[in-house]
Amino acid sequence: MKFAKSLSIGLLFAVSLTACAGGEPPPSSFPGMAIDGQAGYLANNTHVYKFDLATGAERWRYPALGQTFESGQTHGPFAGEPLRFQKWVIVGGAIAQNGVSDSHIYALDDATGALAWRWAVPGTNETERRDFADGVATDGKLLFAANGNGILYALDPAGLDGGQPKIVWELKTKNKLWSRPLVAEGRVYQSSLDHTLYAVDAASGKPVWTFSASASIASAPVIQNGVLFVGTFDGNFYALDAANGAVKWKSPVDAWIWTRATVTADTVYFGDTKGRFYALNTADGSRRYIANLGGTIHATPLIDDDSVYVVSTDGFIYVLPKNGKPDANGLVTLQRFSDTTLNRRLIASPAIVNGQLLLPLFDGDPKVTAFKLADRSKLFDVTMATATAPAPK
Amino acid sequence: MIGDIFNLLVVNPMTNLLLLLYGLLGQSFVLAIVVLTLLIRLVTLPLTFKQQTSAAKMAAMQPRIKAIQEQYKSDPAKQQAELRKIGFSPLSGCLPLVIQFPILIGLYQAIVRTLSLTPLSLLELGRYVYGFVPNLAQLIPINGSFLGFMDLGSANHATSFYVIPILVVLTTWASSKFMQAPTTDPTMAQTNQMMTMTMPLMIGFFSLSTPIGLGIYWIASNVIGVLQYFATKPRMDAIKAQYAAEGATAALNPVSSTASAGAGKPMAAPPRSKVKVKSTGRVNRSNPVNSKGGDSSAGKDKGKDKLSK
Repeated sequence: MKFAKSLSIGLLFAVSLTACAGGEPPPSSFPGMAIDGQAGYLANNTHVYKFDLATGAERWRYPALGQTFESGQTHGPFAGEPLRFQKWVIVGGAIAQNGVSDSHIYALDDATGALAWRWAVPGTNETERRDFADGVATDGKLLFAANGNGILYALDPAGLDGGQPKIVWELKTKNKLWSRPLVAEGRVYQSSLDHTLYAVDAASGKPVWTFSASASIASAPVIQNGVLFVGTFDGNFYALDAANGAVKWKSPVDAWIWTRATVTADTVYFGDTKGRFYALNTADGSRRYIANLGGTIHATPLIDDDSVYVVSTDGFIYVLPKNGKPDANGLVTLQRFSDTTLNRRLIASPAIVNGQLLLPLFDGDPKVTAFKLADRSKLFDVTMATATAPAPK
Repeated sequence: MIGDIFNLLVVNPMTNLLLLLYGLLGQSFVLAIVVLTLLIRLVTLPLTFKQQTSAAKMAAMQPRIKAIQEQYKSDPAKQQAELRKIGFSPLSGCLPLVIQFPILIGLYQAIVRTLSLTPLSLLELGRYVYGFVPNLAQLIPINGSFLGFMDLGSANHATSFYVIPILVVLTTWASSKFMQAPTTDPTMAQTNQMMTMTMPLMIGFFSLSTPIGLGIYWIASNVIGVLQYFATKPRMDAIKAQYAAEGATAALNPVSSTASAGAGKPMAAPPRSKVKVKSTGRVNRSNPVNSKGGDSSAGKDKGKDKLSK
């Protein structure tokens, strides 16, 4: 009797406490935003959104409000930059805070947001089927999707076989793939937390070369004039010969690099996890300047005219000179876009469209905020808390 | 602000220590969790002693406290004054716990952070790994495989046959059972008994939705706690016996603050030299002063005999 009483009280406590944790679950992966024509696409935690660039109005969301699925099925969370491909918007399922992943690639109808197809990572358990943390890349024909199970999949969505894309090839690595592949000149370049950057043939998946760092590589590489630029966790930023993976130069940094760098004709820009921002000479890796921001820098820096826009997890947008003159310590003068913090962690990469700075926001609502670059005034918030979009047919 | 200070002083050092241990112990995260939990238990051992000693003292005082409360129930100020005189301090047992609690929270956070289940948690980890400790970054991400069929980062316990939640329930029960503070108050005793049953179920329920790595921390913490209990039991038994003897004597004259020399005198901690470190087998959870009332009356009778002489 006592046992039954204790058991019921214990379970009541536990269920009550669990019930207290209602509402939108906290995000665990990085949101991603893409711009295409007059529309913006956002994959952010529980939903994928399409919104109007001029007004911020929601066009659709997936799953639609009130949309239900078969018993036991969950769709989402979602992460990474959505990809406009043919008539679809391609997004990847992400990992939830409890470590359970949605291991699917979703193709949503661009016009309505309805699910066209959903491809599941093969496998029977969670070790074999994990998350797509940073979106999908394409060469115009195949889709390249990097999974947390350590496998890069090349999928052919042409003539869907039984409603599913076919796996053309797989690249198996030894640890998680949490960055988007880079597709360039017939090759796919993939960073891995197994300390390696892989270069493979895009059509066949055959390895071309590998580059090994002494720690994980989480940032997606960028390429310019046959040189790959990639940050690592080993205290160096690397420039590699894209032809053979040879190190052209490396430059020491103070912390881990997860940023996908931005490259101009002569400078490569990126930030580190302890808030230091770097501008390096693309030719030899020498420092043009550094700047100390607050928070962690994950998002790709943006360049517009003579300014570099950088966002940080401290909630500020920073503006640095593109060709700044450093002081004796190598530091450049930076300014804040606004003296007021946005009070949100800024993790996803912003975009500049038609003189507007569009900034995806992390946890909560609004999901995106827009500023006018000319006078830095706020234009609109993309608020997606209310039902405005029709359910997909 | 407080969160930043807590991170700086507690969570960050523990995170880096955990990583360092992971590297030193053959990249076994389970071993690193166990060793760090052990180290922290050792560091906080004086606090644990203090808390247990205080609990024993309070238990021995119960008859006197009750008598004072009864006698001065219409005069709360006097009641408090009398309670203070005998050294009653309900918070004295809590203080060590209050100090230990942030340390345990810090350890828990360090484990969650180091497991880095998600991209966001790994990004955050990058802010806290010390750059001046060589080679820590090379250990990232930690190897989450355990015994070949468990993934420390996974919350899906079905694949490991719910071994971890079951062990969490069992070890939490054992830990609650052994380490419960003795009490003479029947209501409190009943509450304790209920807690012994409900706490394991609650923690077990939560462990179902948390990663296996955290479940292992709970198990390690419980097992180390129980081992620590047995290791310190002889000393604690001696202390309890000492307090119980003092309590029995003092209980004879609990409130005569003016007439009795012994009354109102705070109960002193037994000097170490007087403490016989001898195990008495099973713990006398209800001390001699009060066991179901029988021991208590026996104590009183002994006292009366002594006085009558």
